[in-house]
Formats: sequence, C-alpha cells, structure tokens
Amino acid sequence: MTTLFGVTLPQRRGFSVPIQVIAHRGITAWLVEERSVPVVSLAWGWPGGATLDAPGQEGTANLAAALLTEGAGPLRAVAFGDALRDAAINLGFSANREAFEGGLRALTDALPEAARLARLAMTEPRLDADAVDRIRARAVAGARQQLETPSGLARRAFWAAAFPEHPAGRLPTPESLAAARPEAMRALLSRQMRRDGLLVTASGAIGRDELVALLDQLFGELPAGAPPAPPALPPLADFGRTIAEKAAPQSAMLFAQDGPPPTDPDWEAFQVAIRILSGGDFSSRLTRRVREERGLTYGIGAGLDPLFGRSIVVGSVATENANVGEVWNLIRTAWTEMAEAGPTAEEVANAVAFLSGSLPLQFTDSRRTASLLLGLRQVGRTPEWLAGRPARLAALTRDGVAAACRRLLRPDGLALAVAGQPAGL
Amino acid sequence: MDTFPRRAALISVASAVAAPLALSPAAPAVVARAQASTLTDRVRRRPLFGAVQWQLPNGLRVVLAESRRAPVAAHYLYLGAGAGEDPAGRSGVAHFLEHFMFKGSPAVPSGAFSRVVAQEGGQDNAFTSRDVTAYFQTVEASRLPLMMRMEADRFAAPVLPADEVEPERGVIVEERRQRTDAVPRGRFREAFDAAMWGPQHWRGRPLIGWLDEIRAITRDDMAAFHARHYAPSNAILVVAGDVREADLRRWADEFYAPVPARPAPGRDRAPPPSQAAEPRIVRRDPTVREASFVRALAAPSATWAGFGGTPVMADPLDAVAHLLGGGPGSRLHAALVESGLCVSAGADYDGESYGVGTFGVFATPRPGVTPERVEETIDATLARLLDEGATEAEVARSVRQMTAGALLALDGLGAAPRMIGGALAIGLPLEDVEHWPERMAAVTRDQVNEAARAVLGGRHLETTGWLLPA
Repeated sequence: MTTLFGVTLPQRRGFSVPIQVIAHRGITAWLVEERSVPVVSLAWGWPGGATLDAPGQEGTANLAAALLTEGAGPLRAVAFGDALRDAAINLGFSANREAFEGGLRALTDALPEAARLARLAMTEPRLDADAVDRIRARAVAGARQQLETPSGLARRAFWAAAFPEHPAGRLPTPESLAAARPEAMRALLSRQMRRDGLLVTASGAIGRDELVALLDQLFGELPAGAPPAPPALPPLADFGRTIAEKAAPQSAMLFAQDGPPPTDPDWEAFQVAIRILSGGDFSSRLTRRVREERGLTYGIGAGLDPLFGRSIVVGSVATENANVGEVWNLIRTAWTEMAEAGPTAEEVANAVAFLSGSLPLQFTDSRRTASLLLGLRQVGRTPEWLAGRPARLAALTRDGVAAACRRLLRPDGLALAVAGQPAGL
Repeated sequence: MDTFPRRAALISVASAVAAPLALSPAAPAVVARAQASTLTDRVRRRPLFGAVQWQLPNGLRVVLAESRRAPVAAHYLYLGAGAGEDPAGRSGVAHFLEHFMFKGSPAVPSGAFSRVVAQEGGQDNAFTSRDVTAYFQTVEASRLPLMMRMEADRFAAPVLPADEVEPERGVIVEERRQRTDAVPRGRFREAFDAAMWGPQHWRGRPLIGWLDEIRAITRDDMAAFHARHYAPSNAILVVAGDVREADLRRWADEFYAPVPARPAPGRDRAPPPSQAAEPRIVRRDPTVREASFVRALAAPSATWAGFGGTPVMADPLDAVAHLLGGGPGSRLHAALVESGLCVSAGADYDGESYGVGTFGVFATPRPGVTPERVEETIDATLARLLDEGATEAEVARSVRQMTAGALLALDGLGAAPRMIGGALAIGLPLEDVEHWPERMAAVTRDQVNEAARAVLGGRHLETTGWLLPA
C-alpha cells in the first residue's frame, strides 16, 4: 500500500488471462471466454503472406486477401458486402510481410451467418474480373499516394535498403501491382490457405464446444498440407544511410538495428531497455531529449518488432529539414549512452511497472484480445509464457538490463533512411 | 491532437465494413432483407450503455458507464470548448493549451502526469477537435482515484510555465508540418476549408492553427482561454469500466467538487456566411500523384437548424450520406467506382457538431479520367437523387446497416466515453446517445428525401475543390 499525491494506492489485484487451448482435428485454437458482452472475435493466420509474391508481382498476396471479401460462392461483391453489413459482421483478410491473416467479429446472434460468409470467402472466392480490376486500381492509387509524402518515401527506402535480398525488402509498386494476375492470386490462395500451419485465437461470448463447431465450419474444408515455409530472413543489411530527396519542409527519418530472436533469454530485459530508451510515450529518454527539452519533433519512438523468427529495433521521427543532423546526433548519443552505461534502477523499475501493470488494458475488447493472442502464437509463445511474464519482469535487475544493452544495442550499426531535404548529416 | 468526428465515429462503430470499395454490375443495388434479430430488438428498446449521470454543486456533470469485463477504468474529462473557440487572430490556442496542460499543476510537476500514469501501468493522451478538448487515461481500476486527483488538479490550476512555451511551440510547429505542411492532401484540405468558410471564420481555420498565428500565441493567451472555458459547468467527466457508482460519487466529491464554480462561458461563434468565400478551388501541386475531388455543403446539424430554420434533420442526413455514398451498394459507388471512372467515391456527413454541419462528397478518379467527366457524373447522381428521391428499399437498407452493429460499441472501453462526452459537450442530452439506434430506426423515407433536398438542393453555401497533379 503506497500513497501518491495523497491518494492511497492499494496493491493491484492479480491479473491473469485464462487461456483455454483447444485441439481439434489438427487445428489448435486459444480461447479467452468472456461473456459480459454479446460479441465474439476470431483471428487466424498462416505463415506466408507477401513471401509468396513472385518477384516483380509484389502485392499479389495483398490483392488476393482483399478480394476474398469481394464476392464468394453465389454472392457477387455487393451482395457479399451487404450480407456482412446487414448483420454488422466484420470480416477481413490481409497479407503482411510474413503472414496471411483473417479476422472476424460479430454479435453472437450473427455468428452463424458470419461463419457461413467466412467459409465461403476462404473456400469459394469468386475473384470476378471487375472486382480484381477495382481492387487493383485502389491498391495502385494507394501505392502512388505513398510516394507523395516524406513518411511514405522513407518507409519504402528503408525496407529496400534493409533487406535487399529478401521479400521483406520488396514493397508493392504500381508496376508490380499491375503485373499481378488473377491466376497468380488463385494459385497463391491455394498454396496459402491450408489446414496445417493454421493458428487460431478466439475471444468473447463463446465456449469450448461452440468454438469446436465453429472451427469445423470455418476450416473443415481446407485442403491438408502446409503453406511453403517463408525464406529465412538475413540480418538487417548494414546500409549505413540512405536518403530519398523530396521537396518538403520536413524530413521523415526511420532508424533501425538488428535485434535478438524472440527466443533470446534476454528478450524481456531488452524490451525493458528499448522502452526506457525509445518507447513511444512520454517516459523515454528520446522523447524527453528530442521533444520535451528541445521541441524538435511531434513524436519519436522505436520498438522491438519480431520478424521471421528474428527481430529488428525500428524507430521513426519527423523534423524540420534543418534539424535532421541534430536529431540524428541526439539519437546516436542516447543509443551509445544506453549501450555503455545502461539504465538507472529507477528507470528499470518504472518500465517494469508499466509493462506488467498495463497487461489488463490489453484485454478490454474481444478483437484486440484475439489479435494479441495471435501475435503471441506467431512468435511461438505459450500460455505459460504469458502467465509467467509478470514474475519474469519483476525479477529483472538494473545490472541484468545493462548487460543486455551492452550485448544487444549497436550504436555503430544504427542504420538511417531519410526522405526530405535533410541538412546536417 | 485528434480530429475525431464523433457522430461519424458513432456510425462507424455500427457499420461492419468501412472500406467503401465494391460493387458489381449484375448484383442488385439493394438487398431488402428485413432481418430483425433479438439483439437488434434489444438495442432498439433499451439504452445502449445504461449510463448514469449526476451533477456536482460546482456544475460539473459526471457520467458513469459501468462495464465489468476487465479490471480497467477509462477516465475522460471533456471541455465544451475547442478550436472553434480560438480567439480572433489566434487560431491554435485551444490546441496549444491542450499540450500545455501536461506542463504541471500545484501537486504534479511538469511532465510528471504522463510518467505517473505509465508507472501505474496506464495510458494517457488528449485531443482537440473543433468543438471539444478532452483529456483521458486508461488504467487498472484501482488507479482511477489517482487519475481523478491529478486531472482535477490541473483542471483547476495549471501552472503554464513560461519557460516551456518555446520548446512546446517547436513541438506544435513540427506537428503541423507532419500533418499538413509536408502532406499535399493536408495542405489542400486546409486551403479548401479556408476557401469555403473564409480563413478567419471559426469553421475555416485549421484546428492546429495557421502557422503565423501559432508563432504569435503567448502564455497569456492560454491562461485567458483556460480562465474563460475551463469552468466546471463547461466540463463533463465520463468514466467507463469496472467502477461502482457509489465509489465514483465519493471520489468525484473528494477531487472534483473543490474546483471553484465559475460562470458558464457559452460559445460565441459567428453564424455561417451566406455564401462561400470561394465556391470553387483548384490547386495544382507538383508533389501530388493522384487527383482528388471534394465538395462540401453547409448542412443542418444536431445543434443547428439550417438556413431556413428547417427542423433538425441530423439522423435523416446520416441516412442520405449512407445511401448516396456509404460504400458498395451506394449510388455514388455505383456511378463512379463500379463504372470504372474512379478508384473511390463516397459521401460523408458529420452532424454531431456545434453550429453549422457539413455534408461532403469525395472522389479519386482513375488515371486518364478527366475531372470534367467525374464532376458531371457526380452532379448527375445528385440530381437524380433529388428528382426521384430515395426508395423505401434504400432507406431501409441504410437504416439497417447503420444500426445493426450498435451493440459492438460495448466491446471495449473507448466508445462509451467518446460518444457520451462528445455529445454532452455540445449540449446534447445523454438520451441522444443511449437511444440513437431507436431514433435512427424511426427515420422515414420522407424525412430522408426532405433532408436531401434541404442540403443538396439548397445551394446556400458550398464549395467544390480539385487537387490535381501539376
């Protein structure tokens, strides 16, 4: 029991996430059952996604994912969309760098209709020529609009420089989207949506037996076998610096270094270190120095992102062109200091308090819960890992975090992509 | 800063598929399938959140929307003043003050607010819209009293430290660059509003402020804005989550009741101009790759009756926007997207605003399609709606799709405080939020057609804009 500003703070109630693991005919699902609101969310995914795009046809997986809800079975696009919207069913598919994912949210009484439509989308997508044309035009416009702003250009420059020999480095372009053929989309979907390799999570007003029936309905007709394994990701290329010239009053900067694999024993110590150094809220050293003390940016932050069984630390900031050199120096100085001296004991205590204390906040809505659980499964975590997290965080010491900083932070290997008209680099 | 359009947000909570992008020629434009589920029945009879409200002696209104799903509470303080209340020649004061409220109060040192929230495992932020300024935190439920203690402290007496004005001005200027000056579409949107309403009209100024006016804002400007608008009688406290009413009453009495009462300031906004400052604006920008069309029309809102003293028609106008341009199956989507002329096209309406509202039409042509062809098609689509009127089936479909997901707002802690705080801060009663699905369900075809005529056929105040590659 402590007191702050005269307010007594009771010991926090312990919080745990009651995950049920359900194995059914080769598919495993995690379920967090919660019946206070009549809503159910599901999330599912397979490894693959953009790694299945043929070179020169980047965006095929994105287009295929978008087209699954643009007509299926007897329903053409508008009829399919009306069926979803008439019952307020959120159903969507997406392809990211390393995975192909589906998501579903519905009120409980619309769940049978939601299951019917989701199954239709996965097993009988129409890919009508007019729908392909429409979705492709939208994607091309999006890719072109991305080139209008410094942040869009910086992102493109960063990924191309960071992973030049891997699909992760190849973002869709207007040209590659134009080259993606419907036959290639069909072929990709049939390699992608398999019974094996499928990870499913669910949250909300649904029990074990109902979920088992739903798994049969949704995934029972998928062909056996697994999607092709994604190619191993090489370390982030040591590209130093890349600049995309863009006439704009402000430069967008992306900075990054290689991170440890999620299996690294120091993973959580490093998470704590990165939060102290560069977390997105007002607690981090970079926010204090670059935003609060000097007013050089609206926001600066970097996070530890798992990627293909590895990870990268990637951050972003935007500042007036004239200040790019100063901001870059502040970032490198903060990085170097943290690598050499590590955090203070107080910083570690505060970061640990945030990471364990904020756990309940992640479980206030069913869609977020399902999505968070899917993310954990995709990096190979178990329910036991999640249950043990508060204790592991509490056991972290200043010296342990400092040692992780020394071993894992790479001030000299920090790469920078800038778009704008930067000065002072 | 966040320009959260509250009523639009309210509707999008309910609509299933937000991406307005699909239509196929052979499918019927309307699927009239009257399916009334038990949950739909429930939401049309019972209040959506079942919130309770009361008022403290100093005038502060308190609302609790209880939800026991997780041991978490969301704490929102809404002020009934936003960028629309910025003084003449000082656009950006409301937003600058929002930033500056994090710079300390008698008990809480500068910068400590957010650090304490984080140490307690919580998240906090704030936003400024045209109509409101809001501060919010999400925390483990046992930390709610601490949030109330800190929020009440800065609400009553922010320090506004003079030596932090310049660094924060730098932050805000960078925020402006990031959102507007470095983004061609942001620059155009700002120029468009100024062209329509006038660059010094409250509706035509950017929320974040004109750059030269941001540079001129002083600490005194912020202190004056706070003294005038941050009165308990001009604020609404909304709490959602795992909190009991008796506890909240006790904490509200302890922390917020001591904030001294002050007279309610009211809003002092100019009426809309009788016609647009510029009815047409065409901008060519060398950094733009895709052309954009936008048209905005002055419209009645939930708080403003319209030029002719027309009765309030915000709900029917939501239906007009949906059937005209609410994605696949809508008229604009069929005429522009399905036909292959445009990448996207639609209509939007934000009627939950203080004073004059805005009805919008937008489109992004496909490469090679001329602006003239797009605009002719839009004009013809609007003319047809005015001539023939919407059909019963269209209205039924729009009402069904807008209300079907109303209960999804219970999934999470953000929707209740944002919908309730946003409505109460512009003078609407709690019942407007609690019973909106029922109200929307009662909208008739005649009301929809009358609303369409009043806005689209009136031609009182509208501007058409094109952003084109140079």
